[in-house]
Amino acid sequence: MLTALELRNVRKTFGATVAVEGMDLVVPRGALYGVIGPNGAGKTTCIRMIMSILFPDSGELSVLGHRSALEAKDRIGYLPEERGVYRKMKVGAFLIYMGELKGLAAEDAAARVPRLLQEVGLPGVESKRCEDLSKGMLQRVQFLAAVIHQPDLLILDEPFSGQDPVSVRILREHILKEHRRGATVLLSTHVMAHAEEMCQHVVMIHQGRKVLDEAMAALRRQFDPRTIHFEPLDENATASSLSAVGGVERVETLHGSYRITLLPGTDPAAMMSRLASAVAPARIELARLTLEDVFVRIVAEGSHGKAASDALRASVTAGAEGVLA
Amino acid sequence: MKQSLRRIGLVARREFMAAVTNKGFVIGLLLMPAIIALLFAVFPRVLNRNVPAVRGEVAVVDPTGQVAGALRTALTADAITARRRESAMRALQNAPTVVRDAATSPAAIERTVGAAPELTILDRPAGADLQREKQWLTQPVAAGGLRHIALVVVHPDAVVAAGRTEYGSYDLFIPENIDDRLEIELYDAIRESLVAARIRNHNLNREEVEAVMRVRRAASVTVAAGAERQTNIAFNRMLPFVFAGLLVFGVMIGGQTLLTQTVEEKSNRVIEVLLSAVSPIELMAGKILGQMAVSMLVLAIYIGIGLVTLMSFAMIGLLDPLLILYLVVFFLIAYLLFAAVFSAVGAAVNEMREAQSLMTPVMLLLMAPWMFATVIGREPNSAFAIALSFIPPVNTFAMMIRLGSATPPPTWQVLLTMIVGLAAACAVTWFAAKVFKVGLLMHGKAPDMATLMRWARQA
Repeated sequence: MLTALELRNVRKTFGATVAVEGMDLVVPRGALYGVIGPNGAGKTTCIRMIMSILFPDSGELSVLGHRSALEAKDRIGYLPEERGVYRKMKVGAFLIYMGELKGLAAEDAAARVPRLLQEVGLPGVESKRCEDLSKGMLQRVQFLAAVIHQPDLLILDEPFSGQDPVSVRILREHILKEHRRGATVLLSTHVMAHAEEMCQHVVMIHQGRKVLDEAMAALRRQFDPRTIHFEPLDENATASSLSAVGGVERVETLHGSYRITLLPGTDPAAMMSRLASAVAPARIELARLTLEDVFVRIVAEGSHGKAASDALRASVTAGAEGVLA
Repeated sequence: MKQSLRRIGLVARREFMAAVTNKGFVIGLLLMPAIIALLFAVFPRVLNRNVPAVRGEVAVVDPTGQVAGALRTALTADAITARRRESAMRALQNAPTVVRDAATSPAAIERTVGAAPELTILDRPAGADLQREKQWLTQPVAAGGLRHIALVVVHPDAVVAAGRTEYGSYDLFIPENIDDRLEIELYDAIRESLVAARIRNHNLNREEVEAVMRVRRAASVTVAAGAERQTNIAFNRMLPFVFAGLLVFGVMIGGQTLLTQTVEEKSNRVIEVLLSAVSPIELMAGKILGQMAVSMLVLAIYIGIGLVTLMSFAMIGLLDPLLILYLVVFFLIAYLLFAAVFSAVGAAVNEMREAQSLMTPVMLLLMAPWMFATVIGREPNSAFAIALSFIPPVNTFAMMIRLGSATPPPTWQVLLTMIVGLAAACAVTWFAAKVFKVGLLMHGKAPDMATLMRWARQA
């Protein structure tokens, strides 16, 4: 297996704060990896070290077979979390400039720009100044700046943050397109649903440490769902009649519906019919596995207890801004 | 290496283009010569001594009985024109030949002298009521009528000193809104008629007295080994300032833009996008080179304008061409040193406001040569001037002032200044590059000097 990216026992501190600790990671060529974790987990630090913008205190790195990304800059596309443009520059000139910096000849870069802009739904904006574009449009331009030179390795730090749904959809399509072209893609996000939809493989980081490194398919098998969403037909139905059903571990109330956790080893299909016969349902469905659940379950293992896991869940819920203590 | 140079070139080209295509830059570039042109070409025309053609009356109270008549002669149009012509010629006496020739052509003289006012003298009796005469000044005049311009009251002892050494004088009353140049015209005429009356009273020959008083000031000749040339005091005095000014100005243009651009790149977060393509050192080198090109362009334009001006006044021979070469060399050294500091400060701070506190000492250093320019220019080989020539970062400026002075320093000192300057520039760049590297991605608290030192050690 050819590796695109490898980190071995990488550690990075900022003063007294340990940002990343004991990080091992291998990304094979052609893979689509998602790095997930709440804000402040160490994702951006990891990515900046991969990009040789920061340097690890200890440990080793290999990027596309080189010891540093600096030696393979032209083959890497990078969309940082902190991204900007030259406000006064024309969109076309900016993209050409970025392409040239990445080793493209000026005329090649110039030839690609109109087509790429067309593809992301921004035809004809080349001659507009960057400051005249909306935020969502600019983010698409910034994405193009990262892929204009058709990189072998594409690293996207929080590519979907602050995007409207249309932009998210367009970006997702293009990330997948880059992946199909053969690029190895590593993207980080704190919105786990995004990773869930796109990635073949997820790496979870929590408090600077890797807590999970697994293929999505294996994850789905490993963390089989034991949760059922139940919405009673009769609004006055009580939780106690549901928790009385054999095989139910616990019942939580959520805005007029219930979230039922099954005992380990019970068959979800059989349970659904037993629950339905106990209380008439308006809707009953098996909860899909969410990375969020996986994450909370992994992190909460050990001595954290329920309060800690609830806090954790709150902090990783889509769009969460809180940083784990 | 080749790729690295290519990227530095690309960054430099973008910096250069971004700077020179900026509207503000073009305006700023044109503003300076425009202001100078205004000062030298337009102002004299606007402010020339042409008094707008005026028709009016001047009332004279003359108890001596000897002044009014002379004043009537002195205020005739011919007399006024003659006085103006003479003062114009006197002003041009020490001007370069070309300027004198151009300015004393009949047409030019005609323009300078302009249309003389038409003034009528009204004699008032010696015992006239002053209050009533003053009221006459403020009386309204019918359209097209003669304006009431002035009331001259000659003192009784103005012509005959009456046993004392000091003569009496006169009082001049004028209404509001009298052109101050017309007023000066009156002073000149009254003075002349008083002097004429006094001379006549002493039975002296006026021409003889004037001839005795007149000493024409000579234009000195500078004697150098093997060559003599006309000394041009103004030129010699200005040259060191001009060169020091160009040096400071060149460094400021590039340095300031470097600072603001770096702060802007950092604050609008384009920096990390760039860092995925270029290393911090490539970025810094490219930016410094790009702004250097901008500064060089501006300097080239200004030097060009200066040379054309000198040529058009046939003064080009006064300028040693080697000075321009020295200016370029010292500019490069001074620029490198200051640009490194400017870019490091730009990378270290989050916004321009925070840059101020770090920039203050840098600006003072940059401005220091101004404060010393007079001292160094007057005594270019004093111990103070020599010492300053070897203390970076002011050494380049000090040496430039000395080179522009009338007694330039020995060559070994010039070379030593270059070597010291280059060494200092390299040391500062080395330090600045470290701060630049660390500072670029640092956001948050504004750094102080101690923080910068720590970054430099870290990097």
